Amino acid sequence: MPRRRPRPVTAEHPRAQAAEVATPAAPAAPADSPTARASPRAGLFDSVRGGFRSPPWTLAVGAGALAAVVVILLLTPWIAPHDPAFQELSQRLAGPSGDHWAGTDHLGRDVLSRLMYGGRFSVTIAAATLVLCAVIGIVLGALAAGRGGILDELLMRGVDVLTCFPDVVVALFLIAIFGTGYGTLVAALTITGWTPFARLMRGLALEIKSKEYIEAAEVLGCPRWFIVFRHIVPNALRPVLAMSFLRFGHKLITVGALSYLGLGVQPPDSDWGAMLLDAQPYMERLPWLGVLPGLAIFVTALSVTLIGQGLENRKLPRRRPDAGHAEPASAEAPLKGAGP
Amino acid sequence: MTLVIVSVLAFLIPYLGEGDAARTILRARTSNPALGDEAVKALSAELGLDRPMYAQYLDWLGNVLTGDLGYSFTSRLPVIDLVGSALWVSVTLAVIALTVAFLAAMPLGTLAATNRGGKVDSAITFVAQSAVSAPEYWVGPVAVLLFARQLGWLPSGGWSGPAYVVLPALVLALRPMGYFTQVMRAAMIDVLGARYVIAARARGLSFARTLLRHGVRNSMLPVMTLFSFWFAGLLGGAVVIEVIFSIPGMGRLLYTAVVNNDVPVIQGAIICILALAVAINTATDLLYGVLNPAMRVSHASA
Repeated sequence: MPRRRPRPVTAEHPRAQAAEVATPAAPAAPADSPTARASPRAGLFDSVRGGFRSPPWTLAVGAGALAAVVVILLLTPWIAPHDPAFQELSQRLAGPSGDHWAGTDHLGRDVLSRLMYGGRFSVTIAAATLVLCAVIGIVLGALAAGRGGILDELLMRGVDVLTCFPDVVVALFLIAIFGTGYGTLVAALTITGWTPFARLMRGLALEIKSKEYIEAAEVLGCPRWFIVFRHIVPNALRPVLAMSFLRFGHKLITVGALSYLGLGVQPPDSDWGAMLLDAQPYMERLPWLGVLPGLAIFVTALSVTLIGQGLENRKLPRRRPDAGHAEPASAEAPLKGAGP
Repeated sequence: MTLVIVSVLAFLIPYLGEGDAARTILRARTSNPALGDEAVKALSAELGLDRPMYAQYLDWLGNVLTGDLGYSFTSRLPVIDLVGSALWVSVTLAVIALTVAFLAAMPLGTLAATNRGGKVDSAITFVAQSAVSAPEYWVGPVAVLLFARQLGWLPSGGWSGPAYVVLPALVLALRPMGYFTQVMRAAMIDVLGARYVIAARARGLSFARTLLRHGVRNSMLPVMTLFSFWFAGLLGGAVVIEVIFSIPGMGRLLYTAVVNNDVPVIQGAIICILALAVAINTATDLLYGVLNPAMRVSHASA
């Protein structure tokens, strides 16, 4: 097998592939999928490869940009040229120079250093929230699919309702009650953020559950939790990973939005959103003060989106229309971004 | 059900927040800003604030349901009036922005889907992904700088005429446009691979006619779902844009209320936004059943 062919996610269960292609009676059987028709090379592994390929450069560019951002942020304490909090008031609002590559802000602080330290806050908060959302969503989604019945009904009702709540509004709600803080921030974004994962996981779990190897495991007398965590979770990993990348950009932007409103990261800490807020009064004279942190958010968000899209496009079994929770198009679930 | 939970939480805001709950509530109920301790006691008894919590909640809920949300701490105006006028502004802005996004996404998504894998597709997908990744608190100020300050074409903020809508609506439309385009593309690809499209082509329909009659119509459903989803989101969730452009909508109302700890306005705005979100969501579900007969069948068989 040539190296660049994506490794089948179901590697541990070779029979799964056979099962996938051997059930033409299923609603979205391979013969019905657009690829099988459009590609002259439609073959046995087509359904495994996923539909179309995204242009490979997007995945590469996204991964490269993200790696660069992560490395810079990790090395910040060693490579940052200045102390981000050091105020040199005689050097206020200076343009780029040899000493301050990106100039200084309204308090004479080095913009480049602040960008690097600020990014650590932005990215860490977004990542922490994302991990929480993914874990909660995966566990609840898998539970809903595994148990079914009333639990499933209740959980998915909750998901339906929470999904339509704008996340900034929920964040403002929590801030009104508990005040600002990292805890409030992460909690607010988690409350609205876990639902797409639960929806995706439930759909995937229901689909995987109908596979023959699950039946085999049941016949062998494997306990339910074992089937869920040994078979369903690993098989759902790739789509969930794709979704995580797709959602990461959204989280990053929302964290920045709250900081921009002065309700997210509080001084003396500062993130990219807070830097934009600081730059606001000086935008006309010194546009780069605001452009740079925005650009940082944009580049980071775009790189994860590219990665997520690349993964999503190669993702495995297309979900059948009846497997998801009233979800019409497979592409929709991950794209269900909340309100800005 | 959800609305009950939301209303309980909103009711609890004055009790969970800092400060004397009774005083906070009294400030909301009466339009007299300064109250002595004596007056607080007397009024507490009169308004039943010494009664158990659940009874107080029911009282409060009764008031809310009859449209009495109390008075704003800062402006001393009835909250219901504030919410009403802000809602109207937000609805206008959301409808315009989403219509722009929708109208841009339809041709872009279709074009990308029909050129699947080609250069045009890559370009459109990349543009859509960029649009999705661009924070509006970055695009907004830059757009103001460019079109309002430098070129002077449009006002930089406020809400007093059609010209004031253009810039915020365009900035606001950017991210939904990106999402709509991607969903439209995915849906169109699905539809174009469907059997009825092959059948239509086999019947001799031209590609363009097939695209219009079957493609666009059928791939619009998921986009419409997303549309209503965003509509619900933007009613209160356009906070950033409304703050940047000083638009007196729901988002800014809630934001300023949170900043000023204006409890009755927070309660009113939260209840209104979340209730509307639930209502729109339910309406979409119902509408979906009407528009898509397949949905009804799958529900019936389930």
